Amino acid sequence: MNKSSFKSRKRQEKAANIATVIILLILSAMVMLPIWWIFRSSLMSNGELFEWPPSFLPKRWLFSNYAKTLEFYPFWHYFKNTMTIIVPSVIGGTVTATLGGYAFARLRFPGKKFLFSLCIGSMLLPTMVTLIPLYIMWTRGFGLIDSYAPLILPYFCGGGAFNIFLIRQFISTIPRELDEAATIDGAGQFRILVSIIVPAIKSAMIVVALLLFIQMWNDLLQQIIYINTDEKFTIAIGLSQFKGSLKSDWSAIMCATCMSFVPGIIFYLIGQKYFVEGIVMTGMKN
Amino acid sequence: MISLKKRKITNSQLRTETKTAYLCLIPSIIGLIVLTYVPLAAVFGLSLFRWEGVGTPQWVGFANYVRLFTRDPYFMDSIKATVYFAMLAVAGSIIYSLVVALLLNRKIPARGFFRAVFYLPYVLPAMAVYIGWSWLYETNFGLFNYLLSLVGINKVMFIGSSELVVPSLALIAVWLSGNLIVIFLAGFQNVPRVYHEAAEIDGANSWQRFWNVTMPCMTPIIFYNLLMALITNLQVVTPALALTNGGPGNSSCFLSYLMYTYAFRSGKLSYACAIAFISFLLIGIFTIILFVTSKSWMFSEGGDD
Repeated sequence: MNKSSFKSRKRQEKAANIATVIILLILSAMVMLPIWWIFRSSLMSNGELFEWPPSFLPKRWLFSNYAKTLEFYPFWHYFKNTMTIIVPSVIGGTVTATLGGYAFARLRFPGKKFLFSLCIGSMLLPTMVTLIPLYIMWTRGFGLIDSYAPLILPYFCGGGAFNIFLIRQFISTIPRELDEAATIDGAGQFRILVSIIVPAIKSAMIVVALLLFIQMWNDLLQQIIYINTDEKFTIAIGLSQFKGSLKSDWSAIMCATCMSFVPGIIFYLIGQKYFVEGIVMTGMKN
Repeated sequence: MISLKKRKITNSQLRTETKTAYLCLIPSIIGLIVLTYVPLAAVFGLSLFRWEGVGTPQWVGFANYVRLFTRDPYFMDSIKATVYFAMLAVAGSIIYSLVVALLLNRKIPARGFFRAVFYLPYVLPAMAVYIGWSWLYETNFGLFNYLLSLVGINKVMFIGSSELVVPSLALIAVWLSGNLIVIFLAGFQNVPRVYHEAAEIDGANSWQRFWNVTMPCMTPIIFYNLLMALITNLQVVTPALALTNGGPGNSSCFLSYLMYTYAFRSGKLSYACAIAFISFLLIGIFTIILFVTSKSWMFSEGGDD
């Protein structure tokens, strides 16, 4: 390859990169526009919201709308309830997925292949299909009516096949020599898991925790069928009730909507640096 | 390839490993049995009875299924709406996320920022997303009709019209598909460098390298994302719950939503189980089609699995 063609190649690449950034800027503006529109609506008065043509910026930024909304929208109560479900579930799911992933990645035992294929098979099984039998089991079998337990307990049972798989893949990338050295030192398998594996797969565990968080955060159907009283409402149900009771006070509805955006964004910003790294390392190829 | 050299193992070692393994797997095994496979069998079993939540279930054989296909006023519309939504949402979100991932895979400034932007919608709670979008889709003062008016198009009803409701909901699903981008991005980064270098030495330009090196290596990830997107979108229920209540008419009365209304609003539990089982079969059929056709386009590295 001669020098001039190398140079022109460099130039080409630079042009392509500039084009990429421009396209990405346009696309991100499009992706952010709905969020911006919702936010800007939360800062407007209802009078301004129903003006034509609408504007992209509020005339006056009425942050006081939030205080007003909070007077009759018990956000903190719903937030507390939601966290009461999410925190134990995320912990339970992450711990049991780690245990499962460790067994599949490192230990030899009869029935491993069979169990693993059952586990992967359950990834293909739609959750909607098992909804009714599980509902009957929790409410009739265990008498858990208007309780958070049916929402939380399933997460103590493996944390989902995908997460087990993710942890297993991640553990497979850790050199076995590390465990073997510890075995020679007389460490048992649980000691190896706690003192060698867990520190090495921290980022994968954070990814799993974040995925579980998002999954529960997005769930509406199960919360609707298991929770019946106002006292126990979560953000998702509370918000839908709030909208139903207001009908056209869009400014207050948008305030409530924006408030429920915030926790997810915060958790994501905390966990995001582990995110792509965590998934890349697992080598999703297999 | 480390695992190729088999480690020696004694009987007592195997016994302790087995014990530890099963201890570790107790939660998952309980989950698989009690929360997954038994309910799957139960859903089929229950669908053969007539039971509305009280009294003893009455054996009716396949009557629930016959009724669904012949006399149910919602069922057929519901299948159509579900498949229509899933096709639009899957195609849209796969194309969108593949393109974005491809752009993000280049060596550009502020990659982390862009990645966060595209992922952001995915971390917002679904209920809030649909309520927010219902305001954007509002007929008289919403964002979308404003944008249309800027290019001279008259106001349309998005959620309120039976033609546009499913495409409008599918657009939200595409917007929410940031998780696919992350998986595609991970896939791009796992394409072995050596392949690219070899192709470059052979004189392949970047376009040829993309089609003959990158894309073949990506096919397993595309397959995985297609499969997961298909399964997720065929079970769609939240937009109907949060936004449309299945309307207008039956145009967004998705299968899962129909199941929900029968089971939890009219108490027809066993009848709803028949819908759940049909939905399982429907997803199964699509999964099988995907697996069969994938043989012709999926590149396998040979010996890697």
